Amino acid sequence: MASEDEISLLVIVVDVNPIWWGQQGQRQPEFTLSKCLDAVMVMANSHLVMTRTNKLAIIAIFIIWSFIFFSHFFDSRDEPSLGSSDGKYELLSVANDLIAEEIKNLMARTQVKGHQTDTLLAGSLAKSLCCILKKCLAGQDMKSRILVIKAAEDCALQYMNFMNVIFAAQKQNVLIDACVLDSDSGLLQQACDITGGLYLKIPQKIALAQYLLWVFLPDADQRSQLVLPPPVHVDYRAACFCHRNLIEIGYVCSVCLSIFCNFSPICTTCETAFKIPLPQMIKPKKKKLKAAN
Amino acid sequence: YAEVMLCECYPLKMKLRVQLQCKNLHEYLRELSPDILDRLYNHPATCLAVYRELPALAKNYVMRMLFLDHPLPQAAVALWVKKDCQKDHDRCVSVLTGLRLWHSQQLQGGLQGMVLNPVFKDNLRTALLGGGKTWADEGSGLGPDRHARDVESLDRYAMERWEVILHFMVGSPSAAVSQDLARLLIQAGLMRSEAGEAPCITSAGFQFLLLDTASQLWYITLQYLNTAQSRGMDLVEILSFLFQLSFSTLGRDYSVEGMSESLLTFLQHLREFGLVFQRKRKSRRYYPTRLAITLAAGITANPSSSSSSAVNGTPGTADSGFIVVETNYRVYAYTNSELQIALVALFSEMLYRFPNVVVAQVTRESVQQAIANGITAQQIIHFLRTRAHPVMLKQTPVLPPTITDQIRLWELERDRLQFTEGVLYNQFLSQADFEVLRDRAQGLGVLVWQNAPHRVMVVTPHGHSEVKRFWKRQKSHT
Repeated sequence: MASEDEISLLVIVVDVNPIWWGQQGQRQPEFTLSKCLDAVMVMANSHLVMTRTNKLAIIAIFIIWSFIFFSHFFDSRDEPSLGSSDGKYELLSVANDLIAEEIKNLMARTQVKGHQTDTLLAGSLAKSLCCILKKCLAGQDMKSRILVIKAAEDCALQYMNFMNVIFAAQKQNVLIDACVLDSDSGLLQQACDITGGLYLKIPQKIALAQYLLWVFLPDADQRSQLVLPPPVHVDYRAACFCHRNLIEIGYVCSVCLSIFCNFSPICTTCETAFKIPLPQMIKPKKKKLKAAN
Repeated sequence: YAEVMLCECYPLKMKLRVQLQCKNLHEYLRELSPDILDRLYNHPATCLAVYRELPALAKNYVMRMLFLDHPLPQAAVALWVKKDCQKDHDRCVSVLTGLRLWHSQQLQGGLQGMVLNPVFKDNLRTALLGGGKTWADEGSGLGPDRHARDVESLDRYAMERWEVILHFMVGSPSAAVSQDLARLLIQAGLMRSEAGEAPCITSAGFQFLLLDTASQLWYITLQYLNTAQSRGMDLVEILSFLFQLSFSTLGRDYSVEGMSESLLTFLQHLREFGLVFQRKRKSRRYYPTRLAITLAAGITANPSSSSSSAVNGTPGTADSGFIVVETNYRVYAYTNSELQIALVALFSEMLYRFPNVVVAQVTRESVQQAIANGITAQQIIHFLRTRAHPVMLKQTPVLPPTITDQIRLWELERDRLQFTEGVLYNQFLSQADFEVLRDRAQGLGVLVWQNAPHRVMVVTPHGHSEVKRFWKRQKSHT
């Protein structure tokens, strides 16, 4: 099998927004952040054991910043290996210990200010793209994909950055998959649709691990063979540049394609002054037509 | 001529077509008895190794069922794939069933359901998520090693050990291997020994030498496993250990604590192959080398495919890239290794030798000589391509097409003879008898060849009975 030689990189982006997970813990005490991370680790391990050449990176998203806390490449032997204390594959136990350690450290360091529950999704996606690109530039030929496990609400403020990231991913042939825990995310729906990834809002949070293994573990080649959940109806509404509202019909600048919800004579992005269309111009035409009749 | 052809056609044909057969892990496991297979899955490392060699689709099947406790209806499993990929699905099902990884079970409603082999399921879960016993004792119990080895020295050690074996095969006087290993090489058909003489290489051995290291290793391992039971070793035990070794970390030490007597003997054999490093025979710890860890990589590598060259590219496993081939049939090999020079000399004529390079010429005679030894043109070309110098690798195709074509043509030259089985009729008493029978055979259309002055003729095997009957009738008439 020729495909065996190809490196397959999976970047898992986990939303660890403390506010959302705190509320979730009160709503549904049987599904907490640690449960979610367990499921992520199962997914990560399954990906790593699939072939020798599979690589993995995990990125955690916080409210204000995101952090790459684990990446497994060839240099794993430089890390202090703790070894396996039970029947687990050595590489996996080293990896899992590292993940658990890092996330503990991060949680201890994080300080939550204000009541903003948005997650810095665009930033973390950009970070994962950078991570992928770095490996590609190092001369390794590989297939990459990003899996976003999203918990908190969408934030329309990030619309511009987010769309830019998606188009960059599309250009790099990077798939973006999304596994949404709570409410549907229009932005991620668009991301998956554009890059050819899968979008799934899971009906039962408690079964997260099984959904991950079932739907998101197969790579792009195997997905073409498997029957997977049908694509969702994508919410393609764009956010206006003036108030960051999602709109269906709006005004578009003919020069820079910025979107506005109300008309303004001067584009705020590129400062083009629009010539007002003249309604008087139509009147003589009508008269002429009548005359012809 | 005809007689020679007749009595030698069959063996001659076989000799030309002998190809080194290298099974992959699946083919090997499939031939084991169900009992052994079930016992094999008792170790997480084996489960992991078997899982990793499954087809990609089958891997997903296993993952989907890994955490299910109840059997799945067969109809539901069939719906996992799209209609146009039914063929892949059937292949996966046959692989999974063949390895006894899943089996069908009656569901409550009377439907057929599929369930993973419970032993396999438990152990794969353990490998993935932890729990259970440790695979091997760690060296940590022994405290830090005063003679700890770094990765480079391990690589060097492994390569040295492996080259000694190859040197032994080409008959270098300096190379000496243990009795056990020599016997293994003979049993594998790579060498043969006349009574009282030192073993010498066979045509299979020549083919073996031209393989890359990973394939060579896997081939030897297979042969070793085949003879393991006759040595009184437990196949399951050593297979589990081998897989465990292939999942260990390079540059770490492991302890021999708790290993059985036969496993310790096996460890000594592995030490001789260069798969593990042990400072002294009685040393309490061992280091797996890169050879052991890439063993699993050789499992899937097909000796005829060129994709396995990736294994050679990893630093330390082989001296990669030292051969330059020119369109004038000159071969420049930038190497000091006696072994590599001996390998090049298998199919070429040595011209000059310098401190760091040898120059050889590929000629018709040398290639034909190699082919007579049982090496195929494909193997020669594969050898040259996988060991091509970085400068050569920049051009496409890597080898000049004139050379590759010519080597293939030289091989075809030997295939000019066409073999037909037949029955020889000779020692006719008179020319008339001969002519009667010949004409009859010709009339029946079964005559292959005839020589009137010598009164010999050859008929096809299926025409033989008819011609014989005619001849008996003819004789009784006269």
